[in-house]
Amino acid sequence: MNPSSSALLIIGHGSTVNPDSSVPTRRHAAEIQNRNLFADVRCAFWKEEPSLRDARFFFADRTIREVFVVPNFISEGYFTQTVIPRELELKGPVTTRANGQTWIYCEPVGNNPIVTKLLLTRAHEIAPGIEPTETALLIVAHGTELNDNSAIAAKREAERIRARGEFASVGNAYMEEPPLIANWDQLTNAPNVIVVPFFIADGLHSYEDIPKLLGIERTGPEIFRENPHQIRGRSLYYAKAIGTDPRFADIIVEQTLNARNLTHAG
Amino acid sequence: MKEPERLLESLVTGKISRIGQLEISLSENGFILCHREDVGRIDLQQCQVDDAVEIAKFDDKDRYRPLKTAPTLRRGWKIFANNSEEASRAIDAIYPGRLAVLHTFKGGRLSTTSLRETLNRQSGMYRVAAKISDEQVDALVGNFCRSDGGCLRTILWKRDERKTVPSAKLPPEKFDPAADQMGKGETCIPLLCQEACNLLVAACRDMVKMEGAASSAP
Repeated sequence: MNPSSSALLIIGHGSTVNPDSSVPTRRHAAEIQNRNLFADVRCAFWKEEPSLRDARFFFADRTIREVFVVPNFISEGYFTQTVIPRELELKGPVTTRANGQTWIYCEPVGNNPIVTKLLLTRAHEIAPGIEPTETALLIVAHGTELNDNSAIAAKREAERIRARGEFASVGNAYMEEPPLIANWDQLTNAPNVIVVPFFIADGLHSYEDIPKLLGIERTGPEIFRENPHQIRGRSLYYAKAIGTDPRFADIIVEQTLNARNLTHAG
Repeated sequence: MKEPERLLESLVTGKISRIGQLEISLSENGFILCHREDVGRIDLQQCQVDDAVEIAKFDDKDRYRPLKTAPTLRRGWKIFANNSEEASRAIDAIYPGRLAVLHTFKGGRLSTTSLRETLNRQSGMYRVAAKISDEQVDALVGNFCRSDGGCLRTILWKRDERKTVPSAKLPPEKFDPAADQMGKGETCIPLLCQEACNLLVAACRDMVKMEGAASSAP
């Protein structure tokens, strides 16, 4: 990476109704900007401003020769494969613009194996001192959505963590399809249960919908500070959306390094 | 210094110090940004450049602002920026992407995209938006994009490849980068709109869906 000639564009989904949707993406961008790894670090969103179309006009400085585009998405899917390349006018993994600038399209953050490590770290952080062999871990995704690759990615993560044999059990649950997160106590046997939402940002799902399904009476951002919740005879630990972890900034940087290695390998 | 920062500095030094609802003034040590309606007030809350994202996020009634160029920027604050880099960062948080688009426009390189092209490009749930009729576009854009209550951008895009204006309901000033969209007749840095935003695409979709529902009703 050449800090004087490389720029980074982080793509988020954003929302027209949820003010918190773009917060993690913006935070990761600010964190990476502070590391001075890139000449410029910008964000663009599908549902917020600046738009993906606006982003085509960023990085006007002639000194910037390459732009790394990293989708801050939890999985590969419709947005990473169709919407982002179309809106940014990317022709593939590497696109050369009329001005000679190269845009390198990186894999979404969710594809990086560090995500598994962050899920584990988050589980240990929200339930400190709890014996993992007496603890079940549930990774919650939405489910039922068109082309729901996030559910597939969540399954893959659960398998990886399960293979480590640390927790009493590791499973997936969904909001709208079986196995339903509402049945969390039937899906697990351990006295302690850790629930981690497999989303890129907090919002209505993590603040309200999932807590209600879990049986947590209160809703809102403060529920994350009230662990463990004593519900249905168990100690329930409820985590923030995995994408809010500040270490996702490391993943974004690593995705640019991975893409660079791939595009410069041949 | 980045290109848009250089542009901002030259505009402000040349006394063009308004953009949308923002007033930018030169101070001894940098720039001061505040709401245009708040110029001269001495009771403004001192804010940092990093507060600009939050300032732009909610209106005076704490409602979320999905469209940052809506004429609903909250009042009562001022931001001190040490240099043009910080001032640009604050402006970019309040009016995301607009300085970059302006810089491209000034350089004669800004390409615009007609509404029909934008709609025809859509996929998934937005594909249906392309079915909107020209008459519906005229009514929708005339209301959705109007500077008085809708959006303060200057529209540069056309309705279609025949270069039709998007709405006959909007005044000619809506398409003039030299016009003050706040209607005060002051010299401003324009908030340029090179292509219909996602919110307008969504509104086109809603209109098509609504009509579909109405026509299939018994």
